[in-house]
Amino acid sequence: MTPLFAFQLRRVGRNKQFLFFTVALPALFTVFITKIIGGQMGDAAGFQDVAASVMVSMMAYGALGAALGATIRVSFDRASGWLRQLRVTPVPQTRVVAVDVAVGGLLTLPGLLVVALVGRFVNGVALPLGTWIALVGVLWAGSVAFVALGLLIGWSLEEKAAGGAIGILGVILAALGGLWWPVELFPGPMQVLARFMPSYWYAEMGRDVAAGGSPAVLTVAALAAFTAVFAVLAVTVARRRPLHAVSG
Amino acid sequence: MPDSPALDVRGLTVRYVGTVAVHDLDLTIPAGQTVALLGANGAGKSSVVNAVLGLITPAAGAVRVLGRTPHDAVRSGCVGAMLQHGGLPGEARVGEVLDLVRRSYPTSWPLDDLVVTAGIDGLLARPVDALSGGQRQRVLLALALAGAPPLLLLDEPTSAMDVEGRRAFWTTMRGLAGGGHTVVFATHHLEEADAVADRVVVVADGLVVADGSTAQVKARVAGRTIAFTATPGRRLEGLPAVTGVTRQGTTVTLATADADATLRALLADGGLPDLEVRGATLEDAVLSIVRDHPIGAAR
Repeated sequence: MTPLFAFQLRRVGRNKQFLFFTVALPALFTVFITKIIGGQMGDAAGFQDVAASVMVSMMAYGALGAALGATIRVSFDRASGWLRQLRVTPVPQTRVVAVDVAVGGLLTLPGLLVVALVGRFVNGVALPLGTWIALVGVLWAGSVAFVALGLLIGWSLEEKAAGGAIGILGVILAALGGLWWPVELFPGPMQVLARFMPSYWYAEMGRDVAAGGSPAVLTVAALAAFTAVFAVLAVTVARRRPLHAVSG
Repeated sequence: MPDSPALDVRGLTVRYVGTVAVHDLDLTIPAGQTVALLGANGAGKSSVVNAVLGLITPAAGAVRVLGRTPHDAVRSGCVGAMLQHGGLPGEARVGEVLDLVRRSYPTSWPLDDLVVTAGIDGLLARPVDALSGGQRQRVLLALALAGAPPLLLLDEPTSAMDVEGRRAFWTTMRGLAGGGHTVVFATHHLEEADAVADRVVVVADGLVVADGSTAQVKARVAGRTIAFTATPGRRLEGLPAVTGVTRQGTTVTLATADADATLRALLADGGLPDLEVRGATLEDAVLSIVRDHPIGAAR
């Protein structure tokens, strides 16, 4: 698996936009939003709560953007004919898909780690070491939902539509899922809508861990359900793509 | 399986929604041959190639590649292919793509030689997105050759090349045949088939309508052409066996079914300055063969 994995990783790594939107932007947001909202808090404990919450939101934001951005690229590789070309080499198809999943999963880590470091050392979020590890671990594991969603979109949409979908989907998931501002500030119907966003459950999972507990069963179940639906749809769409079609 | 033919296609039928692209086609290609699949666009060439590579599931028939199923043959590295709609990945360098593909095969073509053979000297460090059409096609050839596979399938390999590039490519293909590779290429350039192939399979409307050496296919057209310089008043009507007359300035070209009879009559009528008599070109042959198989007749 190594040569194809390294190859795919290098290709995404060359994309400066990808690194900006999945690492730099969430890190900058973490600093700014914490300064703005946290600064309005009267006491240190209030600031601490805001800093931790914003950090978790931005970790989630960066990770879901990375997972989507890395996997939607499958649409570009289909359009260029590269996936067809790979089909006539000895590289097995299952490996091609497995590598895309692995690359998507791995690339959520830089954002998670950088935002956590910014939270710790710039914003002064104080958590026990075990909690830090659990937080990164849980968000890393949960990002599989967005790897599945990205593959679903990458296999469903043509190149241009998929390219546009990354941006739109990122905004919808972040805004409606309560990553840019807390869901508690939403009007009632919007709070209900947030619960239909996988990003909401994803961030909730991180908040439960950051608060020192383990994620609620409902939260994990909801995210797992989203993941399963995305994965099943992705596989269904992939199977239906005729191999002989020009863009297939 | 050393005794298996490189390619054995039996009763291949390929259907797309509403159309039959390949109709009960048989084709056996022994190892070491260089075969041109010749035909117009839509004749079914690509469908045959795609079925051989396992990219499409045939409606009927069996395909064996070196004694294996298409899928197994591809997986085991027996086949290298240049697809009509194959492509290269963005955000990668030529050398990286080539390295990836070479390493996926059990054996690989030595890099230095591969670069020379495919004509991609100086391109290894170049980003894929910065290649010209012809360069891109030569890189795709390098990918097909990367594993030094015994069977090469090239689907319209020179379609994006200029005349010069095309001729260089023919030299490469002849070299591959000399190196013991079985080369099967689809083309609609008759010149290409004539220059490279030692066997021509003419496909029309999903059927093999002619199969043999280029000489044999040409011989399917019995006629000859007679060209000479004629004075403007020269009588050309009523000559025996003539099937067509074209005038280009003072040069007259006659197509004839019996060169002997036509020449005798012409000589009896006067001199024949700048006389040229030649057999049918491959183009004449294919056109006449395909004419006998009008589209839709196979149904």
